[in-house]
Amino acid sequence: MRFQKLKALALLAMLVAGPILGFATLARAEGTALTDKDLSSIAGPKSDDIAAKGDPGAELTGTVNDVTISDAKKGLTLADLVNQVGQDKIAINFVWTLFTGFLVMFMQAGFALVETGLIRAKNANHTMMMNFMVYGLGLFAYYVCGFAIQMGGSAPIANLGGVYPLNHEFSINLFGKPWNLFGTKGFFLHGATYDVGIMVLFLFQMVFMDTATTIVTGSCAERWKYSAFCVSTIGLGAVVYPLFGNWAWGGGWLSQLGVNFGLGHGYCDFAGSGVVHAVGGLTACAVAMQLGPRIGKFNRDGSPNVIPGHDIVLVLTGCFILAFGWFGFNPGSTLGASGNGCLRIGSIAVNTMLAGCTGSFGALLYMWMRYGKPDASMAGNGLLAGLVAITAPSGFVNTLGAAIIGWIAGILVCLAVEFFDRVPKIDDPVGAISVHGVNGLWGVLSVGLFADGRSNYGGSWNGVPGSVKGLFYGDAGQLVSQLLGIATLVGVIFTLSFLWNWLVDIFVGQRCHPKSELAGLDIPEMGALCYPDFQLKALDYPAASSVSNEGSPVSSKH
Amino acid sequence: MRIIGLACVLGGWVIAVAGLFIISSNFGRALFASGGILVTVFGMLGVLNRHYLDRAIWKK
Repeated sequence: MRFQKLKALALLAMLVAGPILGFATLARAEGTALTDKDLSSIAGPKSDDIAAKGDPGAELTGTVNDVTISDAKKGLTLADLVNQVGQDKIAINFVWTLFTGFLVMFMQAGFALVETGLIRAKNANHTMMMNFMVYGLGLFAYYVCGFAIQMGGSAPIANLGGVYPLNHEFSINLFGKPWNLFGTKGFFLHGATYDVGIMVLFLFQMVFMDTATTIVTGSCAERWKYSAFCVSTIGLGAVVYPLFGNWAWGGGWLSQLGVNFGLGHGYCDFAGSGVVHAVGGLTACAVAMQLGPRIGKFNRDGSPNVIPGHDIVLVLTGCFILAFGWFGFNPGSTLGASGNGCLRIGSIAVNTMLAGCTGSFGALLYMWMRYGKPDASMAGNGLLAGLVAITAPSGFVNTLGAAIIGWIAGILVCLAVEFFDRVPKIDDPVGAISVHGVNGLWGVLSVGLFADGRSNYGGSWNGVPGSVKGLFYGDAGQLVSQLLGIATLVGVIFTLSFLWNWLVDIFVGQRCHPKSELAGLDIPEMGALCYPDFQLKALDYPAASSVSNEGSPVSSKH
Repeated sequence: MRIIGLACVLGGWVIAVAGLFIISSNFGRALFASGGILVTVFGMLGVLNRHYLDRAIWKK
């Protein structure tokens, strides 16, 4: 009996003591914190070892020795360690953003080759020089005021450090809602904007702006006065592009449609189908309209002639360079590779690749079925159209969506080139209006249809929590936002571009003299031939094209 | 003609934005936005471009 009592007591003691001991152990584990003292026991390789042996296996490089110590007397502290982690994250994002920005900058070379290959040899120097100088002219205009107008009132960007003196936006109140119109900080990048993060952002945004300005040179090639081109480009880089850039990316009214009117996440344009390509394409349309077609492009009855380009090798090489640069354009638009959903860069890169691929398929098949030949320049055109279209949705859609968007773009570009040739009769030597304008708008629209609601960039987009969803995934409001973005591009941006270039026409004169045009612009405008060692053969284009016109009325387009 | 064309282009945008204040349903707003885009495109290609087409170099 006594033994049983003892046994019961022991059991009771175990039942009571067990949890107490368990909790005590847990509490001890939770209470154990890493201290500076713990860090002092971590030893890195001795410098003598590294000096004597080198480190071919990378076992001695990148150790505790490389963590920056703030106070040598204290040695390595937890604060040092945490600061190093933070700096590593920002460093990764800086390097990523800068590197992708460099890729985008190299796209200028791609544009130069594509455009020059698609025009006649007698204008090659002129076209090449437009593409070359668009970089410097656009950069200067953007440095003076473009960047401030675009990003001068934007929110802090956590991926680039979050230190952000670009904090003032000009805003008006309309029907009880704030309408942010343009930024006012950052002119000449002076004062508080002399900041490491802002320099990275400036470089990245600047090369985007330059892409928009270089689109116009293609549509206006072979007849644009060089002086007019210079003034026109400055206006686009200084005011027109930055305004829309602000409305979409700088905290402007379009991006706030979600917050103010409950329309999805507001206007969403991940990497710039609208901001970059549609702005460039619509400006190209405005200027090409004012310039009128090249001599020989249309017959007296209005039927279009083919004016073939002079070097398909340049065209397709340029397309490859552009496709390569697009890996900077889209994945780089995360502005980082670490934190806030940035690991989605792989998905964005694959979407970019897929849309370019299906775009070239779409164009190739369309041309083959319609004209019996797989047109090389239109295949390149389809590639670019797919890439343009996926630029806005690349961060929000899945691979199936990307493939469909690209394929539609490839067909759309062929239809658009035919349309502009035959209906409004706007002469566009390189098809830039169709590639960048039409497909830029298609890209903007496709966000409102195909965004799958699976992306997550820090939990919200444009101040609205959650992921961006298109109509096919249940958010009709997002489609309305995108439609309003399109209306703003064709309504306001086209108007601004048209007005600015109208002024240029009045004060400078847009179109060069017909004699210069017939002779080729290299000598009259630039003073030197692009190919001085070759004898250039002048073709009677209306007659020469009568045969090829039956086969492919768009074969001269890129 | 150019002024009328530009007014048409800009007017299309005003129609699209006006939908935000006139109607609250997404469908209605989408209709306003689409209508505005159509008016804008008509202004661009139907009015503005016609002005330049009438003076086109190949008609001379």
